[in-house]
Amino acid sequence: MMTDLSSALMICLPELILAVGAMLVLMLGAFGGERSTGAATMFSGAALIAGAFAAALGPHGTLFAGAFHMDQLAAYSKVAIYVASAFAVVMGYGWMNRSNERKFEYPVLILLATLGMSMMVSAGDLISLYISIELQSLALYILAAFQRDDARASEAGLKYFVLGALSSGILLYGISLVYGFAGSMGFTQIAHAIAAGGANHGVVFGLVFLICGVAFKASAAPFHMWTPDVYEGAPTPVVAFVAAAPKLAAMVLFVRTLSMGFFGAHEQWAQVLLVIAVISFVVGAFGGLMQRDVKRLLAYSSIANIGYALLGIAAGTQLGVQAMLVFMVLYMIDVTGFFACLLALARNGRPITQISDLSGLKGSKPGIALAITALSLSVLGMPPFSGFWAKFYVFKSAFDAGLWQIAIAGLVASVVAAFYYLRMIKIMWFDASPAPVDGSPSEARWIAFACALFSFPVVLIALHFLDQSAGLAAASLGLH
Amino acid sequence: MPVFDPNTDPLGYVLIHLLGIVLVVVGVLLSLAFLLLADRKIWAGVQMRKGPNVVGPFGLLQSFADFFKFVFKEIVIPAGADKGVFLLAPLLSFIFAFVMWAAIPFAPEWVVANINVGILYLFAVSSLGVYGIIMGGWASNSKYPFLGSLRSAAQMVSYEVSIGFVIITVILLTAIKLAAAHQGSLVDAMNLQAIASMQQGWFWNWNVFGGGLKHLPMIIVMFPMMVVFFVSFLAETNRPPFDLPEAESELVAGYQVEYSSTPYLLFMIGEYSNIVLMCALMTTLFFGGWSPPYPTTGWFEGWSFLGIDASFWGQLHALVWFCIKTVFWFFMVAMMKAIVPRYRYDQLMRLGWKIFLPTSLVAVAAVAAWGVFAPLG
Amino acid sequence: MNAFLLQYLPIVIFFAIATVLGLGFMIAAAVMAPSAPDAEKNSAYECGFNAFDDARMKFDVRFYLVSILFIIFDLEVAFLFPWAVSLFGMPHDKMVYAFVSMMVFLGVLTVGFIYEWKKGALEWE
Repeated sequence: MMTDLSSALMICLPELILAVGAMLVLMLGAFGGERSTGAATMFSGAALIAGAFAAALGPHGTLFAGAFHMDQLAAYSKVAIYVASAFAVVMGYGWMNRSNERKFEYPVLILLATLGMSMMVSAGDLISLYISIELQSLALYILAAFQRDDARASEAGLKYFVLGALSSGILLYGISLVYGFAGSMGFTQIAHAIAAGGANHGVVFGLVFLICGVAFKASAAPFHMWTPDVYEGAPTPVVAFVAAAPKLAAMVLFVRTLSMGFFGAHEQWAQVLLVIAVISFVVGAFGGLMQRDVKRLLAYSSIANIGYALLGIAAGTQLGVQAMLVFMVLYMIDVTGFFACLLALARNGRPITQISDLSGLKGSKPGIALAITALSLSVLGMPPFSGFWAKFYVFKSAFDAGLWQIAIAGLVASVVAAFYYLRMIKIMWFDASPAPVDGSPSEARWIAFACALFSFPVVLIALHFLDQSAGLAAASLGLH
Repeated sequence: MPVFDPNTDPLGYVLIHLLGIVLVVVGVLLSLAFLLLADRKIWAGVQMRKGPNVVGPFGLLQSFADFFKFVFKEIVIPAGADKGVFLLAPLLSFIFAFVMWAAIPFAPEWVVANINVGILYLFAVSSLGVYGIIMGGWASNSKYPFLGSLRSAAQMVSYEVSIGFVIITVILLTAIKLAAAHQGSLVDAMNLQAIASMQQGWFWNWNVFGGGLKHLPMIIVMFPMMVVFFVSFLAETNRPPFDLPEAESELVAGYQVEYSSTPYLLFMIGEYSNIVLMCALMTTLFFGGWSPPYPTTGWFEGWSFLGIDASFWGQLHALVWFCIKTVFWFFMVAMMKAIVPRYRYDQLMRLGWKIFLPTSLVAVAAVAAWGVFAPLG
Repeated sequence: MNAFLLQYLPIVIFFAIATVLGLGFMIAAAVMAPSAPDAEKNSAYECGFNAFDDARMKFDVRFYLVSILFIIFDLEVAFLFPWAVSLFGMPHDKMVYAFVSMMVFLGVLTVGFIYEWKKGALEWE
């Protein structure tokens, strides 16, 4: 019994580190007050890095009667999520220092949200799926409204919460339908039930609700309504966090649920995912055209990119999953870099958020301008930047799976989306600057440069390793 | 008592239960009448007054006179009130206060509904009691009742948590004893009959002393828990020194301000019924319930009196002890009202959340640890 | 009928009797007592003043906070009930396991409790 327990605890060591770390930091903050924000940040960062190592090197296995899977896929996503969260902790600390709002709750909430995501990518049954999604979302709702005095941040938090509660309801409804018709909560048992009796209408009905609920969390259209408002209103470091790690977690959750539990109903869910994917990249591409706010623009860009990633899942092949995993990690790096650039830019102490404010950036901040350019080119898919490789993988897997009509639609959408990135580049490089820009904080600048450098040329080397580990991760699902 | 099989003779089954329930209701109402008087007499005695002494010998019939006065008074419903809810509130208070008596064991075999989750049932119904107060305060559409009901709800809810934890300690202790005795299923630890019967024998088997000589060290935990329970139940039933919802100098009479006539009477009977019930629960959880403080094994065997056989007299003997203990606790409640000054609201909340809650939480852990790790043989 | 459900039949009967009794009291007063309402008598009580404004006003957010705390801890108690009755029915090693699990659960809640204490959620001033 005891040996069982200790080996089980070793398997979920990353989660344990995060959970215990979050509680310790909370106690540290509760007793130390605002002064301890720096220590809390350092401790949280350390917990995240330790968790990443534990996830990468720790043992694999299935725990708690199949409710928790630690495999190559989970390890891959956990490492990516933890690293992204660590960046968010660092950026948030700098931001809090500048806005004179030191709250030790920020790193605690990031840790808790990360814990939720980390359980999402390991969830092996519907209960742990729901609990982990809720843990992640509740922490994110509070983070979105973190600037309590700011009307827009409060609005963002409230909108996020209300719509999130609605989607949780939809999700629960789907879960109860699936449980009722398949007779079990565990993915393996559901897969057996579907294999034995076929996917009856009840299961499919529930599955559609389930997909809608998770699609909301991943901000895929037509469940994207909260995204632009939250991106615009919430503090920038929080948005940098919300835009990166939760998306990967939701995608991996999609993959694991659909391929472990519902692979027998592949024909049915693939249609749903394709519809969502097409709507997502159309909405993302055309919605972004009208935006004046950089953060809103990035919101639409993220909606479009989720659409591309869903193509990989809809393909239902190992290659598709591998493509999705590569795509999401490259996208996370791009988007983190983007928001780091935004954090680095301020004029007279007020953060720059309008696209028109970027004009003439080449004169005042050539480094940041270069970084934004590289990241924009990457997100729009210009070779040889990282975004090109990401899209290349996804579209290739879609073509291989015979989804060529959809893939072509995606290509068209990304050409449309290219317009708004190019417009941004044009404003930065060719328009005149209205006023000088403040000096940029070092941590945001360094993160921005690192991400930009990654998007080109580091990606050419890193892609090899990324591809390999994503391949291993995808293989752990046992698809073909 | 004749036993009816519900399957072959459903009518007899229902009738015999109906009889028992009517007996309990009439008994409780009658005792309430005299306990109300006793409350006033004790209070008067402490203040060197005589108290009610006009109606009947020593004022013994005072409560009945009060009852008739209530019935003949006009029911005033404020113009802005929510009429339906206004009248429903006292009714609910009354009903919830009374249905709780269904699970109280009066004697080894005398209980209206011997359900195996009796204490859970009591806990649940007593939580519902707060609805009557909130509804009454809200429906009156008047400021004092509204503020009074808010305070009252917050107060009841705060102390309910501690009561919950204290109940858990008793359940744990009973479960330890049941497991050691290999008697029945452990789910019976929530059955009030089982809780009472596991405290039979000498008085040191009572839960307040740790529940038996083997568990004597648990007196360090159980005695404070008894105190926590007593204080919490005073707060839960809005009794002095925790009668803040109706603190006269601040809120006149709290949620009852707009009530008159029998609706007010229902609130009052409900409140007193709750108090006496909590005394009975206190007795059952910590002081052996109906079990006398000495062993009675074999006392009534083969013995009969007035043509009625022994088992009845055994039950009656137990009932008398149950009443003595309950009335003793009611006396304590009345004394508290007479002696202790009223708390301030912030003191009340501090006591509930910052002292009782952590203490009872630790107590739960301590009793569980005792059951798991202590060398009980 | 199911023997298990039959245990609860007396409670239903009890409920019915209590309802009849309560309604009886109210109807008795309604029938026997005089009824002569007037505008002054039916106005809300406010120490002799006419009511200043509507009684359904804003109230202190701390009541709301208390109710949230109550939900958390009452649920905790609800979790403890099944644990308390099943803990001592197990073999010893499982008993230790169950005990430790629940203590971890209580510990997590205690961390939250300390946090809210330190943040002043329990202060009334």
